[in-house]
Amino acid sequence: MSRDESKLLYAESHEWVDLVEEDGKTVGTIGLSGFALEQLNDLVYMELPELGRELTVGEEFGEVESVKAVSPLYSPVSGKVIAVHEELPENLEKLNDDPYEFGWIVKVEISEANTVESLLDHAAYQKQCAEAG
Amino acid sequence: MMNTRTGSGIPGDPRVGRLISIATAGAAENMATDQAILDSVTQSGVPVLRFYQWGEPTLSLGYFQRVAARSCHAHSDGIRCVRRTTGGGAIVHDRELTYSVSMPVPAGQAGPRSVLYQQTHQAIAEALACFGVHAVPFRLTGVDPRPETQNSQFLCFQRRTAEDLIVSGYKVLGSAQRKSRTAVLQHGSLLLTTSRHAPQLPGISDLLSVQLTADALIPKIVGVLSEKLGVDWKEDNLSIGEKRHALQISSDRFDASHWTSRR
Repeated sequence: MSRDESKLLYAESHEWVDLVEEDGKTVGTIGLSGFALEQLNDLVYMELPELGRELTVGEEFGEVESVKAVSPLYSPVSGKVIAVHEELPENLEKLNDDPYEFGWIVKVEISEANTVESLLDHAAYQKQCAEAG
Repeated sequence: MMNTRTGSGIPGDPRVGRLISIATAGAAENMATDQAILDSVTQSGVPVLRFYQWGEPTLSLGYFQRVAARSCHAHSDGIRCVRRTTGGGAIVHDRELTYSVSMPVPAGQAGPRSVLYQQTHQAIAEALACFGVHAVPFRLTGVDPRPETQNSQFLCFQRRTAEDLIVSGYKVLGSAQRKSRTAVLQHGSLLLTTSRHAPQLPGISDLLSVQLTADALIPKIVGVLSEKLGVDWKEDNLSIGEKRHALQISSDRFDASHWTSRR
């Protein structure tokens, strides 16, 4: 079953995060929104971060290329990278069809210092996308 | 992706831009200057346009290209190599005019700034028309575009994307972009004359027997680009801070072997 996009949180920079409690820890799964993928057009390259890397909110954690444009990916949360979707860079054509399940990019063990105040709920993010046209 | 906030925190007026005088420099300095300008525009919101040429023939690799792929292009073997921060294929910079334009990005925009490719290339096409050169974007040539995922030739000028400018069936202008949170850098190469390091790629002068010079072209391009982008370009120089920043970027990245051979 695909992840419910209406239950996710979103960064203004178009990354989504799914926060789940696992064994007393909070794990954030991060991907790119369907809106962003539509605007990006065909992705041809993606660079993933290394396992174990510590991320802070707003930090660049990867890069993508589409139509000869390289764009950074920004982390919506702070924490340690505990999983990366290794199959994704070789299967980018599947991203647009399933951005919220197959399209996960990294999983991050959320740090205690993390805050989600700057993130948008689905309704607020939809509004932002509508305004962006 | 990018931060979508604009307006607050960006004090510059995006309708007035800085035009930096043409310069000839080495590969690392050219790429570092473009990056320093992108960082500057990210902070200030003030557009910057500049033109430059290359001190020696140079092969620039697209950001994601593998350096080992150089082996498939013997003509450019042995010339200096630099890795760009922008996407696309490899370019032999030799007898060309290179431009870069860095612009603040509008709110909520994600992905490539297709409109910037279109406006810039239209401006250059109109400038070329002043010299009797008929250049059209690839999307209007009637040739079916290849899917982006199959557009994988080593050299940029052997690939085709919608806004590439075509003269007599040959690509003469290609551009690529790099995004930051609130700005985009686009730079591109206009092939004036064939390079002996890429003899399969004719320049405009070889295709049409017209002599084009950077000095003649630049004022025309600036004039049309002012209309297309709604920016009044004022002549300016790089600031001391930008020059220092470029030197640091050059040393850390474009002049460093770990950067060039990172893939």
